[in-house]
Amino acid sequence: MSKVSTYILMATLMFIGWATKAQAYEVAEVRDGATINGKVTFSGTAPEPLQFEVEKNPEVCGHQRSLVKVEVQNGLLKGAVVILEGIESGKPFAKQEFRGNPLGKGTFQYEGGETLGLRVNTENCNFGPFTGVLTPDEAVRFGNKDSIKHVLHTFVSMDMRGSVLRTLHNRDIQPDGAFDRTFGSDKLKESRLVRMTCNRHDFMQNWLYVVKNPYFAISDETGQFHIDNIPPGPYTLRVWHPILGLQEQEVRVRAGMVLGADFAFSE
Amino acid sequence: MSCGLEKLWFGIRNVCLCLVSSILIFLGSGAVAEAALLDGVMGGFEESMGKRAQAKGEQLIIGNFYPAERPDSHGPIGAMGEHTHNEGEFMFTYKYMRMFMEGNRDGTNNLSKSDVLRDFVITPTEMTTQMHMFGFMYGLNETVTLTAMIPYVLKSMDHVHRNGTKFTTKSSGFGDIRLGSLVRLYAFETPSIGSHRFHLNAAVGLPTGDIKATGATPLGPNTRLPYPMQLGSGTVDLFPGLTYGGNLDNASWGLQAVGTIRLGDNNQGYALGDEYEVSAYGAYRWIEWLSTSLRFKWKDWANYEGRDPNITQFVGMGPLVHTADPNHRAGERLDIFGGINILFPEFMELENHLGVEVGVPIYQNLDGPQLESDYTFFVGWQIIN
Repeated sequence: MSKVSTYILMATLMFIGWATKAQAYEVAEVRDGATINGKVTFSGTAPEPLQFEVEKNPEVCGHQRSLVKVEVQNGLLKGAVVILEGIESGKPFAKQEFRGNPLGKGTFQYEGGETLGLRVNTENCNFGPFTGVLTPDEAVRFGNKDSIKHVLHTFVSMDMRGSVLRTLHNRDIQPDGAFDRTFGSDKLKESRLVRMTCNRHDFMQNWLYVVKNPYFAISDETGQFHIDNIPPGPYTLRVWHPILGLQEQEVRVRAGMVLGADFAFSE
Repeated sequence: MSCGLEKLWFGIRNVCLCLVSSILIFLGSGAVAEAALLDGVMGGFEESMGKRAQAKGEQLIIGNFYPAERPDSHGPIGAMGEHTHNEGEFMFTYKYMRMFMEGNRDGTNNLSKSDVLRDFVITPTEMTTQMHMFGFMYGLNETVTLTAMIPYVLKSMDHVHRNGTKFTTKSSGFGDIRLGSLVRLYAFETPSIGSHRFHLNAAVGLPTGDIKATGATPLGPNTRLPYPMQLGSGTVDLFPGLTYGGNLDNASWGLQAVGTIRLGDNNQGYALGDEYEVSAYGAYRWIEWLSTSLRFKWKDWANYEGRDPNITQFVGMGPLVHTADPNHRAGERLDIFGGINILFPEFMELENHLGVEVGVPIYQNLDGPQLESDYTFFVGWQIIN
């Protein structure tokens, strides 16, 4: 291969790299943005919470813990992740925080701004709520406010059912310790689901959906969700729950409109 | 023919050197610090396993992981480098080993003292080797665990002369320090087939042990002691290996193959023989904190190359003692070990393991005459942060 050919090849590869990078989400002003409001319901009998006898560190974690995987009140589902796919520029990421279920005190804290800024604040043997989101190629800060160590084990799910999980990170979080970990798009590939567990405390289980823009919401205890400041366009609106699965509908958003979109899961 | 074999041998050594170099480069790069070495190249296998798991309604976990602590999350205490650590984890080990050898053997036949004394002026009758081993393991990242082992060795050998005189020689001091790394290769797990993990072992032995130990013998007060009484190899040694471990419910098991390759001759003009050993073990966890194990270890080792001119091999009456003959060092042996592992409650956030293991040979074939092994005993304490 001649030198010229080599330079052309290198330049092409660099351009491909730059072009790929250029597809990342960009914050831009949204004028007369639209809103999607909706609720997520569940019909049937929700699985009973899993009960655990705590073997390790009961003095910190308590002697018994439960894990509510499907949280339903009066048919309204909490913790479903709603995502509007396909938006490449628009509003900034929101600053928000979600707390884990009792007895847990862990939080998923989203710093917001130009990036998601996820911080997992582990407390009382709890990483945070059962569901959350993360963005690829951005450092996630894992902290531990407990006086005991936890062993963070994260996986990327190779399918949407979480039946094939590939380890991404596996390391100790020392008491009062913290570290950053990135979930690279080269590791995530096309997958959108990340599972998080603690190797020492099996009741510590969480799921994260990989988002690429700030147009997401997590349904509250009344099953409601709200996504605003949406630029006009046709999109796919998805709702995902780690146990109940994925649903989606196509939506066409026009400037300033308020759109209703409900989702219904059943057992 | 011998030239061809020599070339082959140097080829094997070079491959091993390349392996060690690659691992050192790998350590420095940090590029795969978050993945097992074979992650991403087992696509077909994973697809097939994934389909089977899905058909059973199970979850398949693949990649880089290490089992949560349990008494048998570490192998039997006599095995080395059989488990890895997560990033940032540090383990300190104190291990005591005692090996006792009594009586002589040639091939698979026992020899009496008089049998040996027909050919040699002196025969050893028994030997005790004790070793205090201080081990350190550190999870450098999510793939590589660094290891270091510093041994302090005490040896004692009893002899009898043709004329009936008995005497004992002793030597003690630090042995060869061993530095290495364990590199996670791959792991997978489903509830029905359990967990299966593979890692590479790569270590270098540094010639820190004394190979000029002297003692009082019938030849004089400061005689260079025969080969088995020396404390080190005197050479830089490579220890490449491969380890597999698995567990399902309360059962666990492992398989390990490790070689010992001596690089060149030591400064006394000889090299210990190369060795390889294969260990296979199974363990069962009876209660949360207690497991027992059964281990088989096959070991094969070669004769020495060259000789130390300061070790007296012949006297006027003929060959002095077989321990001074570099051509009476080879052998092969199969040992069976029984062991106990105990996981103690955490103390000051430290995980504590106690392991005890005792082994006896069930087969030994020695290029004798040589002292034969009677038992090996290990007890060790492991503290993990």
